[in-house]
This record gives sequence, C-alpha cells and structure tokens, in this order.
Amino acid sequence: MPASEQLKALVEQIPDHDKGGSYVSLTPEAGEAMRTLAAEILKGGRENVLGLVDLLVEPKIGEEVKDIKPHYALHLVAVHVTGEGQEKARAEVALALASQLGGDRPKAIQKYLIQEIQLCGGKEVTETLGKMLLDPDLYDDAARALAAIKEGAADVLLAALPNVKGRARLSVIKKLAVLKCEKAADVFKQALAEQDLDIRIAGAWGISRIADASAPEALLKAADGARDWERLNLSDAAMSLADALLAAGKKPEAAAIYAHMATTRTDPTEKHIKQAAERGLAATK
Amino acid sequence: MTMDRGPVNRRGFLRGAATAAAALAVVPRHVVGAESPTGPQPPSEVFACGLIGCGGQAGEDLKSYIKDWGADFKLLAAADVHYGHLQNAKKRWGEQVELYTDWRRVVERKDIDVVSIATPPHWHALCCIGAAQAGKDILCEKPMTKFIAEGRAVVTAVKRYGRVFQIGTSGRFGACKSPHSRMIHKIMRSGLLKNNCQGVFIQRGGFPVKRYCGLVNAKPEPVPKELDWDMYCGPAPVRPFHHDRFGWNHRFYWDYEGGALADFAQHYMDPFQWIYGKDDTSPVEVETLAAPAHPECCTPWAWAELKYADGLTLVLDGNEWGPRYDRKKERRVDLSDLDAESQEKLKALPDPEPLLTFPEAVRQRKDSGGHVEAAHRAITIAHLANISLRLGRKIKYDPVKEQVIGDDVANRLVYQPMREPWHL
Repeated sequence: MPASEQLKALVEQIPDHDKGGSYVSLTPEAGEAMRTLAAEILKGGRENVLGLVDLLVEPKIGEEVKDIKPHYALHLVAVHVTGEGQEKARAEVALALASQLGGDRPKAIQKYLIQEIQLCGGKEVTETLGKMLLDPDLYDDAARALAAIKEGAADVLLAALPNVKGRARLSVIKKLAVLKCEKAADVFKQALAEQDLDIRIAGAWGISRIADASAPEALLKAADGARDWERLNLSDAAMSLADALLAAGKKPEAAAIYAHMATTRTDPTEKHIKQAAERGLAATK
Repeated sequence: MTMDRGPVNRRGFLRGAATAAAALAVVPRHVVGAESPTGPQPPSEVFACGLIGCGGQAGEDLKSYIKDWGADFKLLAAADVHYGHLQNAKKRWGEQVELYTDWRRVVERKDIDVVSIATPPHWHALCCIGAAQAGKDILCEKPMTKFIAEGRAVVTAVKRYGRVFQIGTSGRFGACKSPHSRMIHKIMRSGLLKNNCQGVFIQRGGFPVKRYCGLVNAKPEPVPKELDWDMYCGPAPVRPFHHDRFGWNHRFYWDYEGGALADFAQHYMDPFQWIYGKDDTSPVEVETLAAPAHPECCTPWAWAELKYADGLTLVLDGNEWGPRYDRKKERRVDLSDLDAESQEKLKALPDPEPLLTFPEAVRQRKDSGGHVEAAHRAITIAHLANISLRLGRKIKYDPVKEQVIGDDVANRLVYQPMREPWHL
C-alpha cells in the first residue's frame, strides 16, 4: 500500500543523520519528538504500517541508502508497540508486517520485516513465519523470529519439519532445541544418526535441552563414535543431559551417564571430561 | 556449511609453512600432568597457546595475562576469517604458527593448553564454550559476550570442565590492593548493611558515546576477496558487507557488540564489582536516558542508572550527550555506615583473599582474579543498560533467573537466537 502524503510528512520529521553518517548530532529534544512520532504514525493504523513498508528500498552494492528515515521509523513503531498497554496495537503492527512476507518484495526488505517481527511479533504471526521456513533466503530469519516469539512457535516448527530440507532443516531442528520442545524428542534422537554433522550436533543438543531420560544410550553411542569437533559437542551434550537429569532428581539416570563418561574418557586430552563426570557422579551419591 | 575449514591453503587463503616439529617444541601441560595440583609442572612455565582472532587486539591478552604476569607462552595456532590478519600473525609470532580460517580447528588441537580469544564479541561466547569443552584454559577479550544468556552458557561450560578463565581487563587487580577499596569490599560482603546500602557509585565519562555510533548510510560494498564474510558474521545475521562493520568499528553495531557501553563497561565494572562485592549478582532495576535506538546502529545515550537489591546505586554517565546525570549524588560506602557494634564485627572478619593471576590460577587450578562469573556479571551491567535504552523503558531484572521481569520483549534481547549452525 503506497504511503500517504501525511505519512511521508511524518517520516520526514525524523532528523537527518549528520555528515559522518550517524546520529551523533541528534539532540535529546529531537529524540523525544521521534518517540512521539511513532505514536502519531500509529494513529494511521495498519494503513500507515503498510505505507512505511512501501517506503523501504532494497540496499544495493555501491548505491546510496535510500530509506534511512522509513527504516528508522518502522523500528520506532515496532518498539513503541512493545510497551505497556499496547497489546492491540502490537498485534496489529505484527500482522501488518507479516502480511508483506512471501510476496514480490525484495528478500532484503522481507528480512528486515522479519527482524522487526522478531521484536514485536506474537502468536498471531507464527503461522506466516512458518511458511517462510520454506523460503531458501528467509528460513533462518524466520526460524530465529519464531524462537524469540516462543508462544506457538514449536508447533509451527514441528509442522514445517517434513517439508524443509538441507540447512533449513538444520535451522528448524536447532530452534526446536532452543524452545526445549519435548514433542521433538524423536526428531532429536533420529538426528543423531543422520549424515550431516551439524544435524547430529543439533540432535544431541536438543536431547540435552529437553533432558530426555530415554535418550542417553543413543547419545552416548553417538558421542563415543564421534571425532574432533563433533566429539566435543556430543560429549558436552551428554554431560549437559546428565546435569539436567540430576537437577530434575533423576539420580540413577544421571549417574549412568556420568559413570560412562568417567570410564570412557581416559585419554589425557579428555581428562577434563573425565574429571567433570567424576564430580557429577559424586553429586549423585 | 563451515565444517571443511581446515588449515589455511594457498587456493583459499595461503597456508603458512607450519611445521609439526616446531609445534612439538612446547610440551602441553596435560602431557606432564600439570592439571593436578600435586602433579609435576611442565619443563618451563611456557603455555602452548592458540589464538582466535588475529586483528588489532590479537596477542594483547597473551602479553598482559601471561608474559607480564611472569610466565611465557608459545603460539602454535591462529585462526581468523581474514587472510591478511592470518599472514600478520605468522609474521608476528613465527613460522611455527599454523593458520586456520575456522577457530574450531584450533580448539580441536590436542597440543594447546590456552586459547586466547580476540574476535569481535559476537563470537566470544561460542569460542569460549568450544575451548572449555576441549579442556583449554581461556583468555577472553572484553566485552565477554554480546548478550546475557551467552554469559551464563560460558560460565556453565567453564565451571563444568574446571577451566581457568581470565577476562581481558585487570582493573580489579589494582583495586584489591587499595586499603580503602578493601574496606568497602569487606563491608559489602559482610552483610552488615542489611540491604540498606546508601552507596551511590557514579562512573562519570570515559565512554566515547559519540564516536561509537554506527553508520546508518553505509552503502553496501563488495566483500573483499581475502575475507570470509559468512564466517565473520557467524551467529549474527548476515548483512550486506560494509567496511565499517568489519575491523575496529564493529563496536558500533548491535550485531557484533553494543557501542560504548558494551566496549567500556567491562573495564569500569571489573574493579567496581570487586570493590562492591557484586561478582555473584546483578542489578534489579535499570533506567536509561538515550536517543531512540536505531535497529542496527548504536545511537547516543546520556546515562544509565542501575539499582541493586541491597540498595546500592550504580550510575554510568556517558557525559558526552544529553543532560548529565543529576538524580543522585555520589556517596561512597564507608565505616560510618555501620554502627559501633557492626564495626566491631567487621574487624573480626578475615581480609579478602588476594587475587590470583592467570598463571597462578592455572598452576593451582583455581579461579583467576578476572574469573568467569565476575566477568559475566560485569558485562551483564552493560547488556541491561543497552536493553533498557534499546526499548526506551525501565526494566526490572531477576539476577538469579537472569531474566527481565514481566517484559517478554526485553527477554528477546537477553537471549538472542543464533544463525544456524550455531547455538549456545
């Protein structure tokens, strides 16, 4: 939706940056006025949010940045609606931004919209972000936004999983781990046996994040067979899992992992793991 | 995506003439049993070191926290995402240094005792965690982290594996020798103020607020051939390249650091925290006066006021932009804050233990003076102030759960999901 003349006039009220290209010379008074400006823009509701989006311009190598003021203004709006008593406006802004994803707008602009959704979005935009997981340019931005939003995000990530491939799949599994999604327990376990090293590491991390008491055998087997960076990560996942189980009062399960690590990490270069496992084992007594 | 980044070769970045023989000249400490407090020491007090990040600060921590503290080191490996930096490392440190474009190859090496991390801060946490998992002791440039949850993850990894960690600032080592500072430390740690501390500590100036503002008009540029931009961005979003985002000025962008607050607060808060006994906690209320924050570039700020649960107020007054802080006057904690009976009790308490230097800490397998929890709590102060100024509102913080109270959006800045394949 093209920006109205009124909106353009509001955006123009954002001060110019200084000669050096930053906002060093912004006065405190001008700063306060900018905050008021966000509220003024919001009076125009969804129409103004879409108008701001329409003023954004894709950055291109060697070209002047053409959307400094609307870029800044959109952020001011996104921050403003995260404040107290702004729930209705927040959802309205987030939905308006989400409505501009998936179309013909340049991916760089869509990335910026997702960045602002990551700040102000809630459950109302998770479904749209889920669709972006299938976009080869936007999947990771969308996954990060979902992980930040939390509410309703795990279900969307899980639903997307059968349809995403390659690095997008890795991104989805990682964010399920961030969200400690217990429904993904099987996903994490199965990931341990995959070809892709990063997926195996993601699976191990997920197991430790959800403190899956059914997974130690598979995790330890994978960790024992791993080398170098993967071995460090999988061993650490095993130790994290043991720590989490211990904290949850599952002492026998934790003790079994610690005992395994203490007896298998016998190389001098893994002495620190052995010692950590021995300390853990002592804590289970 | 990045797992094939082995030693540097001429086709990508040139491989230096690294020699395995040279690398073996220093016996790693674990080989001679130095991990055990009662075990034998290495033939000489020479640490086998790896360097992650070979830019401007590279090697400074090795000098300051190993050499200047009476030990020595030999650099065996160095990693950087920029070919020029790597070549400089070899010129500076010698032919024995093997070069890598992926820092993970450095921490995998079994012949390295200590890793010195001097990348931009958005990499610090991941490098620290990887090094701890690999059993290395750690020197980490300040600021320790980019966001709060990273710090807790580093603390967990370092403690889990019993590693020695020293942050790249050392103000507390001087502070702990001052009788006045020692007295304040003792009062604060004694609990005799009973959560009725009237102290107000003001850090006036020393923050280059104006210089540390990012460029909002940065024209995207082609990525230089000698730079692996994707690996440079790492866990942070990939933006169009601009030279200001790479090198020293990365400090001006939220993606990599956090402006003058993040870059300088660790220096000032390191002694403050020791003196005021705050190494194991954080402020509970944070308020700032600042310009409305830009989404990507750091913008100017006036001051941050942070209150602790015991009543202590900490103020960071930028002193360059906007009005100076004038809500409270500085007020030092001293003996007169205690009644006569409490003063007597204080006298009976032991004096604070001296701080261990990094080599001493490694030798004794104890915490170094600038240990990991202290460093995490120090930079948390800057992160909290930045969260408040980025959102333009006061926040309340739970220093135990390390979460902002009742502000879901603020917590999105406490824990910032990373770009794949990276995670905490």
